[in-house]
Amino acid sequence: MADAEAVSKADAATPPKYSITAKDVSLWYGDFQALKNLTINIQQGIITGLIGPSGCGKTTLLRSFNRINERYGNVTTKGEITILGKNIYDEDVSLSELRKSVGMVFQRPNPLPISVYENVSFGLRVHSDRGELSRAKRDELVEEALREVQLWDAVKDNLRQKATGLTLEQQQKLCIARLLPLKPRVILMDEPCSALDAEGIEKVENLISSLRQKYTVVIVTHNMAQARRATDECIYMLLGEIIEHAPTSDLFLNPQKKETEMYIEGRYG
Amino acid sequence: MADANRSQAGCYVVHSAEKGTAGPNFQRFPTMEEAVSAVAGQGSFNGHQQPSNLTKSNNSLVIAHLSNEQSDASQCRPRHRFYVDTHLLGSGGDGTERDPWPDVPTAAKHILSMAGDGKLNLRPNEQIVIESRKMFTATRLEKKKMRSQRIAKGVFFCMTLSLVIPVFAILGYLFVQAWPALSWDFVTLNPKRMGTEGGIWAPLVGTFFLVLMSLLMAAPVGVMAGVYLNEYAKDNWFNRIINLAVVNLAGVPSIVHALFGLGAFVLAAGMGKSLLAASLTLSVMTLPVIITSTREALAAVPKSFREACWNMGATKWQTIRTIVLPNSISGILTGVILQVARAAGETAPIIFTGAAIFLPVEDNGVGYWLPYTLKSEVMALSMHLYTLREQINNAPLAMQYGTAVVLIGLVLSVNSVSIALRVYLRSRKKW
Amino acid sequence: MASSNVADVRPNRKGSAFQSFRQLVDSVIDACEPIVEWMIRLSGWSAIVFVLAIFAFVFAQAFFVFENDSMIPSLWTKLDFVEFFTSVKWRPTSVVREQYGIVALLAGTGAVTVTSMLIAVPLGLGAAVYVSEFCHGKTKETLKIIIELLAAIPSVVWGFIGVAVLGPLIIDVTGSPIGVNVLNASLILALMSVPVIVSVGEDSLKAVPDSYREAAEALGASKWEVVYRVLFPAAKNGLLAAVLLGVGRAIGETMAVLMASGHKAQIPGGLLDPARTLTATIAAEMGEAPRGGDHYRVLFLIGIVLFALTFLVNLIADVVVKGIKGKQNG
Repeated sequence: MADAEAVSKADAATPPKYSITAKDVSLWYGDFQALKNLTINIQQGIITGLIGPSGCGKTTLLRSFNRINERYGNVTTKGEITILGKNIYDEDVSLSELRKSVGMVFQRPNPLPISVYENVSFGLRVHSDRGELSRAKRDELVEEALREVQLWDAVKDNLRQKATGLTLEQQQKLCIARLLPLKPRVILMDEPCSALDAEGIEKVENLISSLRQKYTVVIVTHNMAQARRATDECIYMLLGEIIEHAPTSDLFLNPQKKETEMYIEGRYG
Repeated sequence: MADANRSQAGCYVVHSAEKGTAGPNFQRFPTMEEAVSAVAGQGSFNGHQQPSNLTKSNNSLVIAHLSNEQSDASQCRPRHRFYVDTHLLGSGGDGTERDPWPDVPTAAKHILSMAGDGKLNLRPNEQIVIESRKMFTATRLEKKKMRSQRIAKGVFFCMTLSLVIPVFAILGYLFVQAWPALSWDFVTLNPKRMGTEGGIWAPLVGTFFLVLMSLLMAAPVGVMAGVYLNEYAKDNWFNRIINLAVVNLAGVPSIVHALFGLGAFVLAAGMGKSLLAASLTLSVMTLPVIITSTREALAAVPKSFREACWNMGATKWQTIRTIVLPNSISGILTGVILQVARAAGETAPIIFTGAAIFLPVEDNGVGYWLPYTLKSEVMALSMHLYTLREQINNAPLAMQYGTAVVLIGLVLSVNSVSIALRVYLRSRKKW
Repeated sequence: MASSNVADVRPNRKGSAFQSFRQLVDSVIDACEPIVEWMIRLSGWSAIVFVLAIFAFVFAQAFFVFENDSMIPSLWTKLDFVEFFTSVKWRPTSVVREQYGIVALLAGTGAVTVTSMLIAVPLGLGAAVYVSEFCHGKTKETLKIIIELLAAIPSVVWGFIGVAVLGPLIIDVTGSPIGVNVLNASLILALMSVPVIVSVGEDSLKAVPDSYREAAEALGASKWEVVYRVLFPAAKNGLLAAVLLGVGRAIGETMAVLMASGHKAQIPGGLLDPARTLTATIAAEMGEAPRGGDHYRVLFLIGIVLFALTFLVNLIADVVVKGIKGKQNG
């Protein structure tokens, strides 16, 4: 037995400290370089915020973690992004499986134009064979997911209603809920609260906080206050480069770099 | 060692080496339960009481049901597959590829309880496979899905191809058949002896006049109607009816337009069967083409342009004249050109309203260039093709094909102008 | 951006004389504003006028005769409407007794339309999906242009292709004694109505917000799953409208079916039987029907039936399309 080779249980018991690591990542849209030699380590089980002025590449970075930015073609990526110990740019990586484990929540709530129930079970349908999951099992998973995002009470009586008819806040919760039956390890969020009103923001932020530990959450935000409230660590980006990566309180109270200080003080961006 | 009853049915074998090798990792157990327990580390397996590991080179455990004589599990059919992913935390999962268990002992525990429930029954020569799930790699299901995706794409591609091929096949075939007839004379000579000899000059000129006249009438009305619908019309019931009318005008069969032309222009207005009546009929028929495309072109001009202009105190008409129309002129032209192509090809609306089967026309002088008056009947290329094919018995085939090719060539070249304009337009669009 | 364009619009010419002349012209044009606006309004209303006029004139020709400056109902009292709608016998020139039953013609139109749609709908929607979802950039544009070319070929040329090319081919392949029949007309009609289905279908797929595709792909759906799990439900009304517009086109087509269908007034028993459609009947017989006679009027009546049929199909298509637009906005 080649014990050294073992993907050993001993290691898994003490979870790897870093959930996402990027090494020398550069990304081009055509000729435009959006990311420049990034290296970061994002910790498992905490909420990490990506902040920076518009066009600094934070959304691009986020979208390269589940390779959804490849949808547009014309994208070249160099370097290595490792999630849970596997380089996601390896040949044998299946995008479908990657996106199953690395879920994404978008800026504008985008529930599919089908029923609430179908929205939550969409991932299960895509990732299980016909007849593999019993009706009861699916119902159970849907309920579990909706409860986890505190949406169950609001929609339980009308699971067949069109998801596009919900309020924006409910829609965004639904967009989070539909990831959960797939047991993602990482949840990426691209300004998840920017389309919501103040009350909705508060509720969704609370929800995001409750996802801590169970999932690794990476969240892009424009809103400094939100970054302070809702994240454990923050990464400050500028012009496709990482300026500073520190625990949120340190970054905001005691920024090490001049650019960071100017940005959080609101001098630009 | 073996329970007498069970050994009749054979024995259970745990096999954790790479496929087909019966090495030290190959061990027999009297019952499946014991085999599974051994995997979980509760019985003796491989001489030590430890949970089995899945490693990179040795990524599956097999529990096979063999007869006592057999020592090779490689012929067994997998009846159940379970998956383990050591990257997972917690104890959840249902053992599928979608949702694997986090480690081998957990897997063994679940398998035992399933076996207890009678859900796992291995017949001889069947096996349970516990595989290690490789992070982010394609599952069996996904490979199946990728196959169906490829098939779907292939089918759609073939469907598209089945539309594209006829275009070229037909055009090529017509051209080849027409080749003997095509010459400069064919285009510039007037038809003789009911069209069986000579060329197609007079019908060509007739089509030109029909198109020109119908364009002169349809273009201004159509463009203004487009402007009305996009710029002036508020969203009320009346304008919705107008929209509906445009849609339906576009859908009225060409032969009904012909009846209308006959009733309204030829008879009621007293124009008789004439160039004028035929052109009017064509212009009514092609009006919706211009209206719709004008509207689309206007709608493509961003609202902010208009607002900027209104903010400077311009009236609605000034805004339209100085901002909206100049910015959408190419789109409007595209529609107008399409109308030309459509009018040039139509036959049905002109059959009873102005088209003649054959007219004697002068071969030189003014009569050569202007063979028709507004009140006279007119020959048209489309009608000429119909006549040659269906009304006259002895028209040479090559001349029929020749006429068809010239008509298609005319329509397609007009169309390609419109397409080129649109492509050019899109490339230089600034907003 | 917007303001710079506002400035761009007037040509930047130099010369004060010219400028003052332009100002004069501009002020004249501006003074015409009320007139121009009224012309625009009138043109806008013209579509309604024409639709009503089409119906009125065709109706008048079918049912009234003009005598001494007054309209006298004619066909209304004379025609046996029961026979018109229920008889298979279309014998307008019979010496013994003229019979005007349009059942055979309706059957011909029905047979040709249904068969052609059976071919055109799958091909059209398949091509729409392929062009819209599986192609990008140049390939997409080229395919769209080629399919547009299909739409540009005049109907008389299609008819000619049916008779001269497809007919002999059908005789060779099937051994049928005649090449112009339901199959021939349907194939030709299918190719003629496919471009409408493709372009409207593609438009309605394009109208599905990209965020739906992105959402589904981010959950791991493959392109094909996106198509049938998300796009088909989201665009189903648009796709239905595409089909209906194709049907409308097929019902109303005249010259191609006139030439390719075999033109025999009977209920076709199979694909290789000739048939005759409503449209072809009008086109073929109007020239020979004595003006004002019963035959002539019945042909106009058929025109009304056609008008009503296509009106209905287009109306449904329009309502279906408006239906989705309303929902998506709301």
